[in-house]
Amino acid sequence: MTSSGGTFGRLLRFAIANIRRRPERFVLSVLGIALAIAAVTVVRTISASFAITGGDSVTSAIGTHAIWVVPAQGVTYDSAAGALVAEGTPSDITVPEGWTGTETIAGRWHSAHGQVAVYGLAGTPAGTAVLSPQLALRLGVADGGTLRLGSRTQTVSVRGDSPALIVSPGIARDVVGNVGWWVADEPAVDKGRNDLGRLFGTAVGLPFTQNPGQAPAKDGHGLVYDTTTGSGALSFAQKYASAFSGQVTDSTLGLISVIGLVLGFVIAVSSFLASVQERRREFGIMSSIGLADEVLYFFLVESGVVFVAAWLIGVLGAGIAVWAVLPDLATPTAWAQASATVAAFLPAMAIVGAIVPVHRLLQQRPVALLAD
Amino acid sequence: MLKYGLAYGLLSSRRRAREMLLPAITIATGAFLVVIVFAMSAGIKKQAAGLGHADEIGHAVVLIAVTVLLVGVIEAAVATTRTIAHRTRELGVLGATGVSSRPVLLALLVEPLVTAFFGALGGAALAAVIAGVLAAAGAAQSGVSASGTAAGALIAVLVSVVAAVVTSAVPTWRAVNRPPIKSLNAS
Repeated sequence: MTSSGGTFGRLLRFAIANIRRRPERFVLSVLGIALAIAAVTVVRTISASFAITGGDSVTSAIGTHAIWVVPAQGVTYDSAAGALVAEGTPSDITVPEGWTGTETIAGRWHSAHGQVAVYGLAGTPAGTAVLSPQLALRLGVADGGTLRLGSRTQTVSVRGDSPALIVSPGIARDVVGNVGWWVADEPAVDKGRNDLGRLFGTAVGLPFTQNPGQAPAKDGHGLVYDTTTGSGALSFAQKYASAFSGQVTDSTLGLISVIGLVLGFVIAVSSFLASVQERRREFGIMSSIGLADEVLYFFLVESGVVFVAAWLIGVLGAGIAVWAVLPDLATPTAWAQASATVAAFLPAMAIVGAIVPVHRLLQQRPVALLAD
Repeated sequence: MLKYGLAYGLLSSRRRAREMLLPAITIATGAFLVVIVFAMSAGIKKQAAGLGHADEIGHAVVLIAVTVLLVGVIEAAVATTRTIAHRTRELGVLGATGVSSRPVLLALLVEPLVTAFFGALGGAALAAVIAGVLAAAGAAQSGVSASGTAAGALIAVLVSVVAAVVTSAVPTWRAVNRPPIKSLNAS
């Protein structure tokens, strides 16, 4: 065992030889860990999908505005509409002097083609409905055509990629009611400040935060979100996405998958313990000629082979399961992200899974191992 | 002859009760989760509805709970490979004295079967007790379904027993059909 490449090659061959000695145990260990990895990957795929959805939905709802004032009833992501909608009337505020603020109507329209989010944005010409190509396809309308919205007919303009149907505020209010939020931007003199939320919140008399995970108080008058980066490295959309995906990982789904991963780890340790027990004499001989460290390397490489094989099977199985059971919920990007996240756990699991059994073995003197 | 195989398997299972504890616990954990998911399905559906895609997430919860149960069951099969390794010479002696493979196979499959049955039953019973206590204390806001608990327990026990026998069958079959001389020479 001289060169490092040669050493790894030998260790790998040794691990494969041992796997071939007990192929059924290797298959069962890989299968058990793969199932656990598949369960975690499915949950992480849903979670990553939520994160992507959350990030996109908040960006399309508030754009690049620095301040977002949500009503006391909060905002929710409507999965049928595929966009954020407000649950209450926009806060009754007066935009402070120097600031630019716009009230946005944002609610649900129960169309014949299912739920649609409608945003009423100032500046949208009256009588025009702006739709993304996907939404136009869903509603069965084309650019230049007409769309019956409540009691009025709108001319369709297909452009942009917003998941919501965009009309003038008056039309939106007629269709979805007086529900929505405010967006605002700071005056030029305050550009670059990282306490815009505090400035705006104090001026309008509302609580403020930079944490998108904080919900407004139900008995309050609304909440000011400061969407500037502040002192943190993550953008507001990224933090919102993280809070959104946390709903999945903190749910029953997340809890069950973590228990599954723990059981998978138990299988790995139990399998390596059995292997150690059966090979005590072999390791006794190695220890007695000064190769005690190599015993650990053997198990590390074997553990690595088991976990890599389990990861490959697990993530592929999860991809198939997600595609078969949750086709609308997860995307290939979310699955790839989830697979990468799960891969990050593996080195630690593989190392601890190998060290725990071998540590017990190496605690004993070679003569004790040979005597059995 | 099968009757003797079964009796032999039960006797050896009693002798190896301590070794069966870990797989029984992993199976019980999986069974516990399956029963809880079925018993509190109303609450889980409500939580899934809060996340949107209620039906799909509801299906995913059941799918993942059953997957975790299977992970627990595989530990029983890993334990079977350990048993076979320990009893290689014994299997050689049985083969050399003319005992046919079917009763020996049955004797070896008794251990995973008993582990899976009692592990799943224990986990299901614990889940039923906890679900009952939660319901009585009013901690389960959406209630606990008695029929869901029963269905979950039935599914947990059936899946555990079938999966334990199926996953243990291949290593057991290979061990039983090994030439006795090879088994007797095993170190």
